[in-house]
Amino acid sequence: MSTFMRVVWIVTLPVIALLISVLFLGLFRKITARIQRRYGPPVYQPVIDLTKLLTQHSNISHGVMFDMGLIIALAGSVVTVLLIPAGGIHPLSSSGDLLVIIYVMLIPVLGMALAAGDSGNPNASLGVSRKLILGLGYEVPFLLVLLTVMTHGETTSLVNVVQMQADSILSWGVFRFPLSAIATFLILPVMLGIHPFDIVGAPQEISSGPQVEFGGKYLALATIEQALQLFIVIALFVDLFLGGAANLGTFFLKMLGVFLIGIFIGAVYPRFRIDQALRYCWKWPTLFALAGLILVMIIGG
Amino acid sequence: MDRANIRKAIKDPHKWGEKYSLWVTYFCTGCGIMEIPPTITARWDAERFGVKPMATPRQANLFLITGYVSIKTLKAIIISYEQMPNPKYTVAFGSCPIDGGLYYTSYNTINHLDRYLPVDGWIAGCMPRPEAIFIAVTKLWKMIEGGMVDGYKRYEENIDYYRRNQERVLGREFIESSPAPMTEEP
Repeated sequence: MSTFMRVVWIVTLPVIALLISVLFLGLFRKITARIQRRYGPPVYQPVIDLTKLLTQHSNISHGVMFDMGLIIALAGSVVTVLLIPAGGIHPLSSSGDLLVIIYVMLIPVLGMALAAGDSGNPNASLGVSRKLILGLGYEVPFLLVLLTVMTHGETTSLVNVVQMQADSILSWGVFRFPLSAIATFLILPVMLGIHPFDIVGAPQEISSGPQVEFGGKYLALATIEQALQLFIVIALFVDLFLGGAANLGTFFLKMLGVFLIGIFIGAVYPRFRIDQALRYCWKWPTLFALAGLILVMIIGG
Repeated sequence: MDRANIRKAIKDPHKWGEKYSLWVTYFCTGCGIMEIPPTITARWDAERFGVKPMATPRQANLFLITGYVSIKTLKAIIISYEQMPNPKYTVAFGSCPIDGGLYYTSYNTINHLDRYLPVDGWIAGCMPRPEAIFIAVTKLWKMIEGGMVDGYKRYEENIDYYRRNQERVLGREFIESSPAPMTEEP
């Protein structure tokens, strides 16, 4: 990849990711509505909402960190998007990018925590503490899964992981290490923050959690950041287990497939409590991930 | 409804966003809140109009005053209203906020909401049906289109009048503790 193309993709890939994830948000609302036998908003409703939020007059700021935290979160999300190969495009990837992703994925969480903490609202602090507990829950199986993938391929590069799965459908990660794929699939709704694990921003319990003091442009930035998180998690799943893709079109279709299954699960479940969620994360997904890791270590690559 | 009219949306995105994305403050102000759950769930589905209940006033731009307003609730309503970002709209729901309704002679409720807050529209009835909310929303669209909803501007211009009335029922301490409402950004 030449330097010029690299710069072009660094600029365009976040925009493409944003468009895809905003479309996903719209599909999420429409399909959930259809499952609940409602008519639902149009698919472009998130665009209307974002337009409104961006043109609203923000009437309050709670301090410097309140402004900067959101920017840190957004920057972290954008960098993570650039690190994940999306359909053969990987402008920032190098040899150890899987390790970098593990760390960079935490920056948006920390940014949101800083912004929410500066607002001084007790609901926001509750939301942040729930987010960190939930992170503690899903990081354990997720790290085990990544360790399995790295051990199996003897590489720390996500591009290499994708290339290894390029031969045929049978060389996809989901067939090579099915136990790890099951574990990741089980924690997918936790990482996406959709039902039954939307504990962090539970509107009826803690007034939408960390976002409780966000209004207008702040809420717009927070929504964009969340939409990018949606893209990151699903893209990571597609890259690890569904063989990535050679072009953006196939990649988008694979992401859509994963996301639709996520919607179908999310639309019919109520919400877990935080202790139930933690117990769930450390039980079945961790067990599957650990079994997958041991199996890969015994059998080898 | 010209929600899908792209040319109009690009020409005036501000108005497009304001019209078709009305987020309601999720705040039980009286018995009228009973009409909200059927409105936002599968039976009537307000989400198809872009109307969505939000958990906090900071995220909302439409305030439904559902039912009678007791003096204690009025405090919360005023605080919530001043937290909402501009532009914001108030719609009084039911006959109680209009003239006191059933509680006209009560010592503990206010009879005319528009003396304490600017109200952009009224839905009469006891109780109004959920369909009435949708009629109100379509009326509100027309008013936003014509630039006729200026409640938040009236509140800033006539803040002395509103504060005087608020002081009469809520007392001096409340007025002194509440900050002046923010003025419009340039």
